Amino acid sequence: MNSFDIELVSVSKSFAGIPVVQDLNLQIPRGEFVSILGPSGCGKTTTLNMIAGFNTPSAGDVRVRGKSQNRIPPERRNLGLVFQNYALFPHMTVAENVGFGLRMRGTPKAEIGEAVDAALRSVRLDGFGSRYPKALSGGQQQRVALARAIAPRPSVLLLDEPLSNLDLKLREAMRVELKEIQEQLDMTFVYVTHDQEEAMAMSDRIVVMWQGAIAQQGEPGSIYRNPATRFVADFVGRSNILSVRRSIPGSEYFELCIDGTQIVLRSDCAGNSAVQSCCIRPESISLLNVSDAGTGPQNRLDGVVRRIVNLGAHVELLVEVANGLSLTVLVPSSRSSLVPELASTVTLGIDPQDVQVLSD
Amino acid sequence: MNRVLTCLFWLAIALVLTFITLPLAVVVAASLSPSSAVTFLPWEWTTVWYGDLLADRWLQPFLLSVKIATVVAGISGVLGVLAAYAVVYERIPGSTAIMAGLLSPLSVPQIVKGVAIVLFLSIIGLQSVLGTPALIAAHVVLALPFVTRMAATSLANFDGNLDRAAQSLGATKRQRLQHIVLPMIKPGVLSGVTFAFIISFNNIPLSVFLVRPGDTTLPIAVINYLEYSLDPVMAAVNVASMIFILAVIFLFEKIGGFSAQLHGGSK
Repeated sequence: MNSFDIELVSVSKSFAGIPVVQDLNLQIPRGEFVSILGPSGCGKTTTLNMIAGFNTPSAGDVRVRGKSQNRIPPERRNLGLVFQNYALFPHMTVAENVGFGLRMRGTPKAEIGEAVDAALRSVRLDGFGSRYPKALSGGQQQRVALARAIAPRPSVLLLDEPLSNLDLKLREAMRVELKEIQEQLDMTFVYVTHDQEEAMAMSDRIVVMWQGAIAQQGEPGSIYRNPATRFVADFVGRSNILSVRRSIPGSEYFELCIDGTQIVLRSDCAGNSAVQSCCIRPESISLLNVSDAGTGPQNRLDGVVRRIVNLGAHVELLVEVANGLSLTVLVPSSRSSLVPELASTVTLGIDPQDVQVLSD
Repeated sequence: MNRVLTCLFWLAIALVLTFITLPLAVVVAASLSPSSAVTFLPWEWTTVWYGDLLADRWLQPFLLSVKIATVVAGISGVLGVLAAYAVVYERIPGSTAIMAGLLSPLSVPQIVKGVAIVLFLSIIGLQSVLGTPALIAAHVVLALPFVTRMAATSLANFDGNLDRAAQSLGATKRQRLQHIVLPMIKPGVLSGVTFAFIISFNNIPLSVFLVRPGDTTLPIAVINYLEYSLDPVMAAVNVASMIFILAVIFLFEKIGGFSAQLHGGSK
């Protein structure tokens, strides 16, 4: 008996000859909150639908708790599903919606009542049982949908962009709540989203998908700090992506010659001579004072401030460090004394450990 | 300027409503006239003519019409839902052709259809079904496109995610049809069934070929009566059947017709 709730083994899916998911291998351990993150059209919803059983893989095997699901229809997979548009049954009360799954299984009435109350309590909607979905706000409706999905105690909960229809404040509050509910129920959550902040905030693990395949998977922090490919660096968070002309292994550092300039950046990432690009997060670049000379970070670049954008918590600077090459730099607003004037010359410092080499 | 437009707008609405309701008002007024000639705006009122409605001459055709219309509404309701289910929900092969075939009776004039049915029945030697069985069959053909169309539209507007949600909650196909699909399309189907009832109840062009002498539906009885006399009894019959139709519409509305469709059950 292995401890994976869901396994995808070499799963592929094509629609009318066009491949949407290609040779996907994924293992989701029991009790984990896993996000499948990617831009629209990357195959993430198709992957979810294959787990749920609404799409049949063209090749490969979907397993739930070690059992192949390929011949099992969705209604017998015992997976909960939450939709972006809530999909509540409008002709039923909240309690009837939440009790639906158990009712279809022929669970005794008294037991259904208890399960409904417990599910509504866990989404903090006790006392809403007799209302109709239309009388609820969007956030409340989504919580009813969540309660409906967890009431029959599924082995896994699949969520398809469940927060996308809510406004920003509510979305942020629901992130915390979803994570709490997941931990409290100790249930495996598979969460599909295109919103990288959402994925970062809740997940134990993020699976970044692109063009029907997994681009990278790992803990949110490690994906952010060590993006493996150009696509991941670009899609997850903001980054300066620089093309590398040549990389030379040095004694302590790799030296990366930046394409089209005389700039050489040192990186302590284990790269190789085939490295084609590298990435630097805007917040890891610091502004140096003249007095810092000789100390501090290893990479120093002089540049001219070309644009200043105030983002509230941060100030974003666009600094031209060479002809045709500008770096985006984020400076916390609390240190506004550090923010230079437009068109002034500044010195940027970049720690070699913040220069990530990327593969394509 | 704006006020002038607003005035014109309400004037237009008033004219349209008058145009629709005035003939009905004339019939109502005529049915209350004390003189046996039909007059509009009589100066005295009486309800004596309504007493005649309970005579067999009117009661029998009325009961026959109600019986036929009820059976027609039931049969075309069931058939229409089944057809829409196969075509829209299951998307069986040839859906478009099947739908076109089901809607085709709309394109044939009823008189032509009536003649065709009589000729057909006599060719295959089945004149014996003339009367109630033939009336029911012919009315179903006539009403079916309306019910099918309404049911198909409701099904097409049905959010597939509701079905998927129910499925993920363990509902089998039969359970999903019973608990999700049918309740969701009920308002549309009831509207279609209401139309079927009214179409059958009011029909003249088809029925006139298919009734048996001495055993007619209400509209045919009215036509026969009109050939010899035009009097307030006539008007009273029409007013009564008008009220009956309104009552039927109201009843279906109560069960969950149009207004439920508009308000989505969040009563």
